[in-house]
Amino acid sequence: MTRGLSRHLSEEALDDVLIGLGSAESESHLARCAECRFKIEQFGADVDLFNKASMAWSEAQPARAVRPARMTPKLRMPVAFAGSVAAVILAIAVAVSVWHHEHSFVANDGGGNDQPAVDSQAQIAQDNELMQAVDAAISPQEESPIDEYDLSESPRKHWKTRPK
Amino acid sequence: MATYPFGSLPMSTLEMASGDDPRLESVSAERFRAISELDDIDELVRLHQARIRRFVLYSTGDRDLAETVTQDTLLRAYRGRESFRGDCSVSTWLTGIAINVTRDHLRSNRFKFWKQVQSKGVDVHEMASFLPSEAVSPERQTLAKERVKDLYKVLETLSHNQRTIFLMKFSEEMSVDEISEILGMAVNTVRTHLHRALKAVRSRVGASL
Repeated sequence: MTRGLSRHLSEEALDDVLIGLGSAESESHLARCAECRFKIEQFGADVDLFNKASMAWSEAQPARAVRPARMTPKLRMPVAFAGSVAAVILAIAVAVSVWHHEHSFVANDGGGNDQPAVDSQAQIAQDNELMQAVDAAISPQEESPIDEYDLSESPRKHWKTRPK
Repeated sequence: MATYPFGSLPMSTLEMASGDDPRLESVSAERFRAISELDDIDELVRLHQARIRRFVLYSTGDRDLAETVTQDTLLRAYRGRESFRGDCSVSTWLTGIAINVTRDHLRSNRFKFWKQVQSKGVDVHEMASFLPSEAVSPERQTLAKERVKDLYKVLETLSHNQRTIFLMKFSEEMSVDEISEILGMAVNTVRTHLHRALKAVRSRVGASL
């Protein structure tokens, strides 16, 4: 820690004292060594000057108002409402789908066939319609690109008339 | 049951606890003082704005960033005041928030770092001129200003971690354990950064005088 009994504290020991982790031996040395004590005090004085100047500078800066913005409940309600509606529609869709499949099995059981019935075109179209409704309810705030860019459902509208 | 800042502990419980033990009484008094400090945004700004601005400015060297982080820190503290547990001082808590806000801003790449921001950084001559006169001779004043400039110039050369930890220790007066906790850094790593920063500062401040 010290460089012999009559020597001064090492740089590392001095740093430990400054950090607040000095050993009892270092503290004891400092109590009787004016030279090492001066180094500690000089560092403290320099830091103190820096702190005072930087704080005075900071306090002199023009004060800026710090105001918490009011939370707007308007934003939260539609999101919560849309979420609830989507959840209800999804639950209904799942229930209808389960019922629909169970119904198909029951109808086929009468014929003694264990294989599930193949969905008809009409059933597939009905399911697609239902899923589209669910999809629309889940993301109601997303604007359709067709609406957003004012495109027609029929691409033929934008076709140039070819010369005959 | 009524809710209070610092969790759901009812006021009466605190009062009962503080009535028996003088240590608890002082802890409660400290917490109640902190409650009033955090509940009043104007008081929060008055007491801490300059200190946070100084810390962030000298940690990052960016004046604009210091202003932004100071504002964000005070707002976050005010909005999140119920999460303050009272196990450290309000000042230490705010410094922790300021460090996180600074990290967020630096991560976002909207701000350049220390060396790249000299143009909008600290004017060390301006800063040194704010040194209180304290009735000393003009010669001593000049000497003191030179030492402040020297210290600042050495801080500029340190790594971001070294500089931040040096300021937390010697300007914010935090313990090594507090610094370690706030930065999520091992105590030995904090000590190593401090040793390196101190070595640079002590070898160079005043060397040219």
